[in-house]
Amino acid sequence: MTAKRAILMHSKDNVATSVEEIQPGDPVQVSGGAESRALTATEAIPFGFKIALEEIPQGALIVKYGETIGKAGRTITKGTLVHVHNLEGTRARGDLERMGK
Amino acid sequence: MSFLGYPRLDGSVGTRNYVLVIPQGLIAKTIGDFVVGTRTIRTVDHGSGRTANDRARIARVLIGLGRNPNVASVIVHAASPGVGYPELTAERLANEIAASGKRVEIIDPAKDGGVYGAITKGMKLARMMVYEASKLRRVEVGDEHLCLGVKCGYSDTTSGIAGNPAIGYLFDKVVKAGGTAFFGETTEIIGAEHALAKRAVTPGVAQAILDAVAHREALAKSTGLDIRTINPIPANIKGGISSLEEKSLGAIHKAGTAPIQGVLQYAEKPKSKGLFFVDNWMGSYSIFVGYAAAGSNLVMFQLGGGGLTGRDLMEGSPAVVAPFLWCTGNPRTYAMARDNIDFYSGSVIESKEDPQAAGERLYKTVIDIASGTLSRSETLVYTEPIDLCLEEPRF
Repeated sequence: MTAKRAILMHSKDNVATSVEEIQPGDPVQVSGGAESRALTATEAIPFGFKIALEEIPQGALIVKYGETIGKAGRTITKGTLVHVHNLEGTRARGDLERMGK
Repeated sequence: MSFLGYPRLDGSVGTRNYVLVIPQGLIAKTIGDFVVGTRTIRTVDHGSGRTANDRARIARVLIGLGRNPNVASVIVHAASPGVGYPELTAERLANEIAASGKRVEIIDPAKDGGVYGAITKGMKLARMMVYEASKLRRVEVGDEHLCLGVKCGYSDTTSGIAGNPAIGYLFDKVVKAGGTAFFGETTEIIGAEHALAKRAVTPGVAQAILDAVAHREALAKSTGLDIRTINPIPANIKGGISSLEEKSLGAIHKAGTAPIQGVLQYAEKPKSKGLFFVDNWMGSYSIFVGYAAAGSNLVMFQLGGGGLTGRDLMEGSPAVVAPFLWCTGNPRTYAMARDNIDFYSGSVIESKEDPQAAGERLYKTVIDIASGTLSRSETLVYTEPIDLCLEEPRF
C-alpha cells in the first residue's frame, strides 16, 4: 500500500500537515527539509489537516513551524487528528480572562 | 530585474495610468461612468461625526490615492468633502496631491453651476486628462520602483506551506532590489510577533511591533470571548487551521526574511524603501485601499480557499488604482477558480517544486502585470465597496 503524504514544517514539530485524504489505517510518510519518518494514521486526516506524530499529553504544547500553535485540551495519541476538538488556543483568550483564569 | 512603467514627476513609477476623481459620491461616480480610464473610491465614510484621528485617516487615504504612482492626474470635487472639516476640504486635498507635481483640478457645484454643471465640467476635464495621460509611454525601470502590498485570506494550511512562502520569496527579491513591500493584519500576527520583532532594524521598531499586538490582543480579550469564535474564521477552521497562533505563524511567511524597517499606520506612506509592517485590520475591503494610499503600485491576495466551495467566479478586492492579483497555493482552490487565479503555487503541495522556484515564477507574473498585462480581476468592471480602516467611535 502506497504511503499517504504529510508535510513537516520544522524538526521540533509534533504535528504534520496532510496533503492527501488519509483514511484510518493508512501508512503515512512524513517529510520536510532533510527529515523523513513513517507512522500509521489511526483516524481519518482530511487534506490540509494535522496528524499527531507522537503522544501529546493533556496540557502539553502543540508545535508547528517550530512554534507553539496551542496546547492539548486532552491527551492526543499518535496518528490521530489534531484540530479544534483537542487543541486549545493560548492567545487572546477573553473567555478565560472573564472567568479569572 | 526591471519592468515597464510610467515615470512620474516625483520620481515614482506607475504600473497603470489612471485619472482619479475623488472623493466618493454622485459627481465622481457619474464622471467615471462616462469617461474611460478614470477611477474613483466607493465608500460611505466622508468624515461626518468622526474623530480627528479617523478624519486624518480618511484624508491620508484620499491624498495617498491621488499621489499614488498609478495616477496621472486628479479631479477633486467640492460637493461635500468631509462635510466642512478643514482636513478634508477640496482645497486641502488638492494642494497636498499637487505637491507631487501632478495636475489637479477642483470642480465645485457652488461655482460651476450646481451638481449638473460640476458633472459637465468634470467630464470635460476628465476626457482631456485621460487623453493627455494616454500620450505617456512606458519605459524600462528597475525593481526599486515596485511597491507591493499583500494580504492572505480564506487561509488554510496550504497558505503557510506553499502560498505565503512563495510571496515571501517575492518580497525578499523585491526588497533586495531596493523596492518596497507591505504586510500587515495585526490580529493575524498574534502568536508570531516575537519572530517578527527579532527582524526589526532597531529596538524601537521591535517594540512598536510588540505594542501593536499587545494593543490588539487587549481589545480582543475585552470582548470576553475566545478569539477562536471570531478569528480564525469558520472558513479557516474548515480549511484545517486550529488556532489563531497557527494562522499567524503561517501568515508571517508572506513577509519573507528581510529586515523590518518600521511599523506604519493605515494609509501611511513610508519615508524609506524596504519591508514594512502595517498596523491594520485584515478586512479585504479596507486593506488594499490602505496599501494603495501608502504608495503600492501592485497588490496581491494570497488565497487559501480550503473552506470555499462553488466560487468559480471571484471579484477582486478594491484597490482603486493598484492592479490586484489573486494567488493560491491550494490545488483544489485553483481547480475551482482557475479563471480568476493569477498565480498558482499548489505545485509545492504536490511536491513538484519548492517555494523558492514557485516564488521565482510569481516574480515573473508580477513583472508582467506591473508592465501592463491585466490581472484577472482587472478584466471585470465590478469591485467590492470600500470599508475604510477607521478605529475610533462615531459621535
